[in-house]
Amino acid sequence: MLKFPKDLAIAATFAAAAILGQPIGQAVAADPEAGAKVYNKCKACHAVGEGAKNRVGPHLNGVFGRTAGSLEDYKYSKAMREAGEEGLVWDDATLGEYLAGPRAIIKGTKMAFAGLKKEEDVANLLAWLRRESGGADAAADEEPQAEEAEPAAAPEQPDAKPQAEDSQAASEAYTPPADAAPHGTYNLGRRATEEEVAAWNIDIRPDGKGLPPGRGTVSAGETIYTEQCASCHGVFGEGAGRWPVLAGGFGTLDDQRPVKTVGSYWPYLSTVYDYVRRAMPFGDARSLSDDDVYAVTAFLLYLNDVVTDEDFELSHENFTQYRLPNEPNFKADDRASEAHYADRSEPCMTECKPGPVTVEMRAAVLDVTPDAENGEQMGSGAVD
Amino acid sequence: MTRKSGHTANWAPSRRAFLTGAAGAALTTSAATALPGAARAAGDPAITEIKDWNRYLGEGVDAAPYGAPSPFEAHVVRRDVPWLTADPVSSVNFTPLHELDGIITPNGLCFERHHAGVATIDPAEHRLMINGLVDTPLVFTMQDLQRFPRENRLYFLECAANTGMEWRGAQLNGCQFTHGMVHCVVYTGVPLKLLLDEAGLKASGTWLLAEGADAAAMTRSIPLEKALDDCLVAFKMNGEALRPEQGYPLRLVVPGWEGNMWVKWLRRLEIGDAPYAQREETSKYTDLLDDGTARRHTFVMDVKSVITSPSPQAPVTHGKGPLVITGLAWSGNGRISRVDVSLDGGRNWQTARLDGPSLSKALHRFYLDIDWDGSELLLQSRAIDEAGYVQPSKDALRAARGVNSIYHNNGIQTWQVRADGVVENVEVS
Ligand code: HEC
Ligand code: HEC
Repeated sequence: MLKFPKDLAIAATFAAAAILGQPIGQAVAADPEAGAKVYNKCKACHAVGEGAKNRVGPHLNGVFGRTAGSLEDYKYSKAMREAGEEGLVWDDATLGEYLAGPRAIIKGTKMAFAGLKKEEDVANLLAWLRRESGGADAAADEEPQAEEAEPAAAPEQPDAKPQAEDSQAASEAYTPPADAAPHGTYNLGRRATEEEVAAWNIDIRPDGKGLPPGRGTVSAGETIYTEQCASCHGVFGEGAGRWPVLAGGFGTLDDQRPVKTVGSYWPYLSTVYDYVRRAMPFGDARSLSDDDVYAVTAFLLYLNDVVTDEDFELSHENFTQYRLPNEPNFKADDRASEAHYADRSEPCMTECKPGPVTVEMRAAVLDVTPDAENGEQMGSGAVD
Repeated sequence: MTRKSGHTANWAPSRRAFLTGAAGAALTTSAATALPGAARAAGDPAITEIKDWNRYLGEGVDAAPYGAPSPFEAHVVRRDVPWLTADPVSSVNFTPLHELDGIITPNGLCFERHHAGVATIDPAEHRLMINGLVDTPLVFTMQDLQRFPRENRLYFLECAANTGMEWRGAQLNGCQFTHGMVHCVVYTGVPLKLLLDEAGLKASGTWLLAEGADAAAMTRSIPLEKALDDCLVAFKMNGEALRPEQGYPLRLVVPGWEGNMWVKWLRRLEIGDAPYAQREETSKYTDLLDDGTARRHTFVMDVKSVITSPSPQAPVTHGKGPLVITGLAWSGNGRISRVDVSLDGGRNWQTARLDGPSLSKALHRFYLDIDWDGSELLLQSRAIDEAGYVQPSKDALRAARGVNSIYHNNGIQTWQVRADGVVENVEVS
């Protein structure tokens, strides 16, 4: 199961890495400011800095020098705990390897993250993480590598600004195509190029308008889903913790506690494609290819029993043939016809109901108001 | 007495805390009878003692280039309800309505709801695109937008899920939590119609899709008729740039309609000939009814009101005698024409006094000044808008819709004021 069952194997894996890539600790070019941007990819799952708590993944304070899988108040995968028991300790080299391809190194880790493709990103991220994770173990600070890394990182800072200015200059320097034909009343703004419209115009309608060319199968979707979605939405779309449930809930819409999912509630399949492409995975939006989105959408159809064949392939060609079962159950806004609105007469002012009025329910019975005294009590309901 | 008066230190919205605190005890007894004889003879130390602030110099004009409220107001903050959502990045916090007066919400206290955290956008790199069924697809910079004629308009913005946690019954003790997903500010911006006309609308266009630049790329479909009526593309709130959490540098203003449609970090407007069925108008922001069917496109925010003080977080601390009952009313249909207040749980009503400007689709402030005899009150408010809609009871809404709608709960709220001044969220017969 594990890539490194013994200390020796670990040493060997990471030594090989050090030869192939830059040994991170000595990387001269590591830029913590650029690393802060890379960390955006981790933010949905990890917290670091003062008061950081465990989220989907463990907090990263003091991660340098931490034995893998060793935080007491976090529930790791078996694979991660075993890696720690077998001697894996996080430092520049081991983190560098893990972040480049989490599953390649620790098979069975539940970190649903595809990996950082660029070595530069890894180096910059680690430079930043070392700074932010503070309270790094004394042990880690004593490593000669660490001492080299810090002075190396510091002089980089002044460089960060000019770089940023460059990029701004670049965007201002963009000269729109010559399009002299005036428009509108004020002739303000300029014609958008086709490429620009294509870059942003990613919405898809129920009639299929907007679907990009592409295709993907249920089984390809399962792989992507397991790696990039399951840590939040659950292996079967059942939702981990309070993260959204994506599958099941059939026949519950008129229950006491309805379960609204893609299969039980959503009216249109186009919304699945549109939404996943624009907003998921949470914290790394727009990272999936169009084919990947077809595949994941096909897999969500499969999880919701709309298709049952693992070889089923969804594409721009057959997309509009698939309908979600709840489509007919949506209707127009008819609030105005409700009894209390339909009658727009003067409301009653005196003796409107039999007295004395009595209290029938109190919020204090189920005190879920957030304040110092009721701790972790959970209420019911949702904001959307 | 020290400089910090007791009631501001470590303030928590807790009824028990306010009753047990020393300052609370002093406040609950009426001034005339409570002053001990000695103090009466010597006078109030707030007057007879020379205070630090009366002797020593305060901070200079360079101390706070961007000012902040008095440290004694440190408890007036947005609060969130951690159990509501999986993650604070896609979550909500609430306006402290019980601490505010008038109709304007200060920028830093406007509730926040976003779906992928607060986007940090450099205005120099922000663009607004108009595409779809137009003669000329256009791109505007922020500077372009600031060269169009502008308007200033005061509007409330209410999340469709405001009061959504109360469908099944009284649950949260505080109007901040039950009603705090609403705010009201002055927007400065360009009428959306001017921008669309600049691109030239094709006759076949009937719907508009608005899209944000954040990591949720938030989208909503809006009927073109509404877009051309009173929508604004705003860059200022209460005179200053939009706050980042309110969509800096640009947001859509959709007066009287669901807050979710007021797309923040606005970057694109597309014209089409059908609604786009985005996630926020299918999976979310559709109202599930008792029989398992659901309403869609329930855009308008219905007539609604709430008493903000007294309320659970704003108990009566001065005993019987003159008592100001105050609250807010609003409607997506226009102006509020009247607010009635009941002291006995909805049996008898008296008309409250509206004070301050009465503007269409803005918050309205009402007052009822009473002489409280110290007996229990069951406070309710009931708003009526200029279209003649009367705010319904919670039971009427439940009878019509069941309890699983989440959105559009505008039912009449009841606060029980006990003889000791403590206030609780209750439901009544
Ligand atoms: C989709 C959620 C997700 C994302 C994104 C993610 N992680 Fe993780 N991470 C996890 C989970 C879950 C674990 C626990 C893994 C296990 O137990 O197998 C984890 C474990 C780790 C660990 C091991 C910590 C320990 O205590 O042993 C490190 C280090 C780490 N992640 C760093 C990162 C960094 C850096 C990034 C961004 C480049 C990142 N992760 C992105 C979810 C995520
Ligand atoms: C780090 C946690 C996380 C990961 C990983 C993740 N999601 Fe999500 N997902 C969320 C959150 C949070 C929301 C709700 C966002 C909001 O509030 O707007 C969501 C919403 C959704 C929804 C809409 C649910 C509804 O009922 O409206 C779908 C569909 C979805 N995600 C699919 C995916 C897919 C497919 C992937 C993998 C490619 C993925 N998600 C990865 C956290 C995650």
